[in-house]
Amino acid sequence: MSEFPVSFTLEYPYTRTPGPVIGPFLTGLRDGRILGIRCGSRVLCPPMEFDPDTGETLSPDFVEVGPSGRVENWTWIAEPTRKHPLQEPFAFALVKLDGADTAITHAVKAAGPEAMSTGMRVTAQFREERVGAVSDVYFVPEGDAREQAIEPGEGEVEITTHLISLTYEGKLHPHNARYAQGLLDGKFIGQRSPVSGKVGIPSRGYDPIARVVLTPADDVEISPTGTVVSYTVITPIQYRGQTETEPYISATIFLDGSDQALPQQDIRDIPLDEFRVGMRVRAIFRPPAERNVDAVDNDWMYPTVGDVVERWAPTGEPDVPMDQIPETM
Amino acid sequence: MAERCAVIGLGQTKYDRCLPISMDGLVRQAALRALEDAELTFADIDAIVLGKAPDQLEGVIMPELSLCDALCAVGKPMHRVHTAGSVGGSTAITAATLIESGMYNTVLTVSYEKQSDGNFMWALSGGRSGGQGAGGSFAPWIRNYMKRSGAPEHIGWQVAVKDRLNALKNPYAHLHLKDISIEAVKESPMLWDPLHFLESCPSSDGAAAMVMTNAAGAKRSPRPSAWVLAHAKRTEAGVFPGRDPVIPVAAMDCAKALYKKAGITDPRRQIDCAELYVPFTWFEPMWLEAHLIAEPGEGWKMVDSGATEIGGDFPVDMSGGVLSSNPIGASGMIRCLEAANQVRGTAGDYQVEGARVALAQAYGGPSSYFAMWIVSSEPNPTFK
Repeated sequence: MSEFPVSFTLEYPYTRTPGPVIGPFLTGLRDGRILGIRCGSRVLCPPMEFDPDTGETLSPDFVEVGPSGRVENWTWIAEPTRKHPLQEPFAFALVKLDGADTAITHAVKAAGPEAMSTGMRVTAQFREERVGAVSDVYFVPEGDAREQAIEPGEGEVEITTHLISLTYEGKLHPHNARYAQGLLDGKFIGQRSPVSGKVGIPSRGYDPIARVVLTPADDVEISPTGTVVSYTVITPIQYRGQTETEPYISATIFLDGSDQALPQQDIRDIPLDEFRVGMRVRAIFRPPAERNVDAVDNDWMYPTVGDVVERWAPTGEPDVPMDQIPETM
Repeated sequence: MAERCAVIGLGQTKYDRCLPISMDGLVRQAALRALEDAELTFADIDAIVLGKAPDQLEGVIMPELSLCDALCAVGKPMHRVHTAGSVGGSTAITAATLIESGMYNTVLTVSYEKQSDGNFMWALSGGRSGGQGAGGSFAPWIRNYMKRSGAPEHIGWQVAVKDRLNALKNPYAHLHLKDISIEAVKESPMLWDPLHFLESCPSSDGAAAMVMTNAAGAKRSPRPSAWVLAHAKRTEAGVFPGRDPVIPVAAMDCAKALYKKAGITDPRRQIDCAELYVPFTWFEPMWLEAHLIAEPGEGWKMVDSGATEIGGDFPVDMSGGVLSSNPIGASGMIRCLEAANQVRGTAGDYQVEGARVALAQAYGGPSSYFAMWIVSSEPNPTFK
């Protein structure tokens, strides 16, 4: 049986409201200036909203610092990833800018680690395209710096956007792999607890009440027929990655012989005025080549049957009366 | 317990769609207001307990580290609590146990969410298409509750109106819907049948904070204390064979443990008011039943009779509740904070007259995490 590899990229363009101190700092970078903030007799750069020692809120008394400063310490990044500020080998350094009493962590573009040393002088270089982000600037050894004529931008930086992503890879747990294989074969495979006798689908691989591990010997095939026990009509809300656009019925269906409802089963071809609690339905599987279980993962919070059911067809049997609908959903 | 816990400072930010302040600034604003209320400073704090909903909401991983400076937690114990939507309640309880155990004298607890930094629908769908939102997951259970209790559909509309009218009395509330009415709720778009748009909570930014201390600290405190009489947490899995998600066993067990610890035998009569976590209207009657305040099938009748309005015999969500402000990670703590606000007699226009004992509740996940506490104006009230 296949191992069912799982690979998924979670990615979202988060925003930040930088507020009354980081906002002007980012606006300054966009305009070619590096700002620190006065904190008692010291100047903090990067600026903070509060005194890091006492927690006292600082008034927005900004001071321009740099553009040159001293490397306090550094490390060499030999193999940058696409998330690093420079796409060639570079140094991350703590730079104490002239006029500041604290150091900023930033990138230094240098020929190699042999060109880096604690105590060396570096100078800010601003990028051609600046958006009001900490990456609008990087540093170079003082002697390599070139003169720049910076055109200030317009307005204040009040909101910033950051594309954050995470790719994870793994494989389905064995009981989930058997469940996924069953779906590809046009079958619903659940597990029966030898303790309670109850059947779960999808199973979690153990009985969560008795805390007993279930084995392949506990696998059971469940009938593709069942009863609608509840439903809602979803008006899709748009978000990044959402492809649903039209309202559809999302039904909770209890398969015959199981003790755990399948939630969120899409109903697209039964008119709403004919759909009802108690209705008897049967899963019609897609042709084998069109069955897809990519959505099945190890997350039991949102049970799914993947994309294997073409539709839930009414069986034509009499409805199950309300008093026989299980309260356990 | 070695010590008694008293809440001596409350702080909230305004709740809004997008607050133009940084995450540092957000938690500091609530924390500084709570300290000011307690007439203390960061220097008086022995430990900090921070709560928020999953990190995926803002994309800041382990913010308890990056927020240490902002909360003056450097060199002090910093705890992070993480239980989905109930987290604000669990966080308050964690802070209370740090006092009760005798470990610390004075603790600052803060919960927050900056929903405008991300997208809750996206986060809840795990970044996949077809995410139905919390409303889509809960709507079938609500339909089931309506069927089994025989509740008429106007109950949901009534809760929507009551909570928004209450919110008009609370300057911190996100939604101030001056024209709210049964008609407006009924005619708002149907999002997750039977839930209309106006039967759903908003997406809010905001933070809430409390200062808690022991009996000696309470004695020194210049303002009234809210004494923590009891707290309880219970969890059950979101999916398992035989589960009833409408009236979860964990919800009943949590309430039973809570009342027992507080010495409460008749919650409806002995508790003066409650802040319950009601992100969708129907959870008010559902929690009244699941938490044993109403008999099974009778929760909706308390709503219908007006018993849960301010002035009724069991007011619920006097502050406007989650239906009026939902900075998720903070929402549970706001329930605890507002319960304390009532028994301290400082709730202003939404004060329940003579409130002596108040209940707070938070839930999270697919109705699977529960956190509850009871506070009182007296350290040892007697119940008859």
